[in-house]
Amino acid sequence: MKKIFYTKFNAATLVLIPACIGINYLGKLFAQLLKLPLWLDSIGTCIGGVLGGPIIGAVCGAANNLIYGFTTGDSITLIYALTSFGIGLAVGIMARLGLMKKFGGALLTAVVAGLAAVAISTPLNCIFWGGTTGNIWGDALFTATQAAGMPVAIGSFLDEVVVDVPDKVITLIVVFAIVKGLPNKLISLYEGNEKIESLD
Amino acid sequence: MKSISLYVNKDTFLTRMHPFTKFLYIAAAISISLISGRMRTFCLFIGISFALLISGKIVRKVFPLIAFSFTILITIFLIHGLFHDGNVTPLFSVGPLRFYREGIVYAAKIGLNILNMLLAFAVFVLTTKPAELVEDLERIGFSPKFGYIVSSVFQIIPQMSQTMNTILDAQRSRGMETEGSLITRAKSFLPLISPVVMSSLINTRERALALEIRGFEAKQKRTYLREDKMKASDRALCIVMTAAIAGAIVWRVAAYVLY
Repeated sequence: MKKIFYTKFNAATLVLIPACIGINYLGKLFAQLLKLPLWLDSIGTCIGGVLGGPIIGAVCGAANNLIYGFTTGDSITLIYALTSFGIGLAVGIMARLGLMKKFGGALLTAVVAGLAAVAISTPLNCIFWGGTTGNIWGDALFTATQAAGMPVAIGSFLDEVVVDVPDKVITLIVVFAIVKGLPNKLISLYEGNEKIESLD
Repeated sequence: MKSISLYVNKDTFLTRMHPFTKFLYIAAAISISLISGRMRTFCLFIGISFALLISGKIVRKVFPLIAFSFTILITIFLIHGLFHDGNVTPLFSVGPLRFYREGIVYAAKIGLNILNMLLAFAVFVLTTKPAELVEDLERIGFSPKFGYIVSSVFQIIPQMSQTMNTILDAQRSRGMETEGSLITRAKSFLPLISPVVMSSLINTRERALALEIRGFEAKQKRTYLREDKMKASDRALCIVMTAAIAGAIVWRVAAYVLY
């Protein structure tokens, strides 16, 4: 039995966290630059989860939103620290269960991460935004459900599902491609279940 | 290199104030208005935040922040004004669209809450240097490793943005299309992001080695560059704001019990 939550807190994993936060920022920047209708702002969190395990993933996610909230004035992202925390944790657990080794497993991880994000974001959306998410397609669907007289919670849930699940699928495909290409000497820095062989 | 922090380097009473005092102000502004739940309290704190920003000479920096959340505020007003669940009383109509009173009131509450949070955070964010905040957090017991994570984010992001521009130019000069239909733009995402991500992850290995050589995991107590500067005025303000939060809770509970 591998230790799912085993985490090394050495210099290597601590350096990984700011790098992942930077990657999140870049993903968001490129998505805006290319005018893609997705967020793509959790690539770093997912990489953190895959390489460092669930704890590092969760820390990456939460630290990401907290740092941006407190320094760039984007106080809206602050509340979604909980969502990022959940995404990092979910991806980390799935990766430690060995699902990020194959493409199919990566897709399954994406669905789990997407649903984790939906489960946490929906109540937050309802409390703070009256159900909207700030994404054009999702909010159009939300408007349609409201016009049809459905409750805010269900509308908001559907709004999140159509945005978050595809977003996480794309994110994890990108993560899968990147992690596959990383050199082994880097990955071995974060492995939780390696055996140290002694020569003498 | 452009920093991602919004800190404005001006020597005003707000920048000299201790970060924790400003932090407590955020807590007070948000919690008191939510506890009271009245629109008047929200407006009061929005007014106070504006007054602070004007006296700190940074009010002009706030408008881009407000403009950023303006589109989402408009969406909220449209959706709830038109289709809110409890809509009964028509307020006004624009062409075929009829807005309702209940929905507009609901949207106004959300809008005021957002504006209040945004301004309270702006007071903090525009006047606090991230490095000083990190140092003060370490002083009250946060691990220096945590401090490293926060402050290195500020170094890494400008570096990464530079790499990103280099790669964008490199890929464009090779003929990659970054404009056009959605599929064209989506296809260019992976070739753009993966070189930056790869190189920054590979760099982490070197950075980790460099840190370990310089005693990153040493257990000794760290010393600080600046002195602690919690002044008497900071203490007084902290006490006043804590009392105000407690007062709001007592008032709300009392109002609940009495009526």
